[in-house]
Amino acid sequence: MKPLSIRDMLYEEPGPKMRRQIGIYTILAFLLLAALIVAVIRQFVITGQFDSRYWYFFGRATTWRFLGQGLLTTITSALAGSVIAFILGFLLMRGKLRRNKLLRSISTMLIEFTRGVPTLLFIYFFFLVIPQTGIKMSAFWKITLPCAISACGVVAEALRSGVNAVPWGQTEAALSLGLTETRLFYKVVFPQAIRFVIPSLIAELVIVLKDTTFASIVTCADLMQNAKVLISNYDAMLSVYLVVAVIYILINYLLNKLSDRLAFRLRTGTAERNAA
Amino acid sequence: MIQKDTPIIELKNVNKFFGNLHVLKDISLQVHKGEVVVIIGPSGSGKSTLCRTINRLETINSGEILIEGVQIPEEGKELAALRSQIGMVFQSFNLFAHMSILDNMTLAPVDVLKMKRKDARAEAMRLLERVGVADQANKVPSQLSGGQQQRAAIARALAMHPKAMLFDEPTSALDPEMIGEVLNVMTELAAEGMTMLIVTHEMNFARRVANRVILMDGGCIVEESEPDTFFSDPQTDRAKLFLNSLNK
Repeated sequence: MKPLSIRDMLYEEPGPKMRRQIGIYTILAFLLLAALIVAVIRQFVITGQFDSRYWYFFGRATTWRFLGQGLLTTITSALAGSVIAFILGFLLMRGKLRRNKLLRSISTMLIEFTRGVPTLLFIYFFFLVIPQTGIKMSAFWKITLPCAISACGVVAEALRSGVNAVPWGQTEAALSLGLTETRLFYKVVFPQAIRFVIPSLIAELVIVLKDTTFASIVTCADLMQNAKVLISNYDAMLSVYLVVAVIYILINYLLNKLSDRLAFRLRTGTAERNAA
Repeated sequence: MIQKDTPIIELKNVNKFFGNLHVLKDISLQVHKGEVVVIIGPSGSGKSTLCRTINRLETINSGEILIEGVQIPEEGKELAALRSQIGMVFQSFNLFAHMSILDNMTLAPVDVLKMKRKDARAEAMRLLERVGVADQANKVPSQLSGGQQQRAAIARALAMHPKAMLFDEPTSALDPEMIGEVLNVMTELAAEGMTMLIVTHEMNFARRVANRVILMDGGCIVEESEPDTFFSDPQTDRAKLFLNSLNK
């Protein structure tokens, strides 16, 4: 059941000459990369980035607790934002697939609007405009809501492409059994659509998570904001940014792994679940 | 009141266009209770479209389609209710890909007929037993062979206790060695008195099982007769030509 990789789809199997060439270029690329890493490390050593004064505070539990609190806020904000983006995206997708022309054009407009405006603009809107209207909102929501709104249009389009990918025959079969359009959407079409688009939905979750790094603008104590506090406390920019980058990479890597797993499970898991 | 001679399915002067293409030309047709009517004809003759108009998967431009003397509703719950009374079997099976065979079977009985899940499951297993795929009940459709999928699809339609069954080229997507198992199920159904309208290319099956054979060409019914007459003594030149082309 392993799907073809992009490489398999784009290129034919290489011959002997090609294989030799690939080998040479692989070695060259490897050497180049190694040289780059060596150069970077050398520069770090020269400028004293490995000095203990930039690293010793990572030995303290309080540092990690502080970063952990930030991470928790980042994750909560990304999750809450994604859930909201999913709900809004779902509604927009339903609206865009309606026969009602008005509903359809409103949904299309909102989708294009949220997709077209940069996240940062939404954040400034929530940070600067919303308070003027007298609405009180915690810093957490001032970062979470704009991230969600910025993602919902993309989610709507992803869901719509999933719905369109479900073969029409599935709908016809459900109609012929007497299901109404609403029931068949929820029972037959949507459950299949969601399986098709899980990878793009998780990719969007990663984007939401990265967007939450703007949280320092609204003074919400997320991972990035807490990292900045550490930097000014210990006057250690590079080491803190490196550690935080590794944390972000780890989370997003795990999310992508989860996406592969989930997509595979949903494709093949139905039978096992029913047998149990 | 349903009179004894009211046909289960009746088409009166049905016309349908795809754009400028006149795909059904003034079609009139009756299928009575317990009858097996087989529609044959070359590709593009409109036979599948005809079959699909009967539960309004295709709309028509003029004419009437009556089920037990009542015109089919155009939309809404009434249309859904009517569709639930007519089973349909598709060329590409169209089992719900994300559900087990058993869940495929029980979805509509529970959702539309409001049966209890337990009863629906029990009946589903009985029907799957009947078409010989009970041992596959917990698998998803893609794990079954084409023949098994189509038999399960027939069972799924039967679970709704339909008044009539429509078959839209049920064996055209199957490997040759699987066609027989599906036709056997259909033959048994016919023998049990199910009212059936079948679009097919299986001439031997038509000859064996049909009460009536209809030849369509260019959107018209060209010839309509009992199978023995049709296959041994066709009346129209078009029918003779069609049967000749099959024997080549």
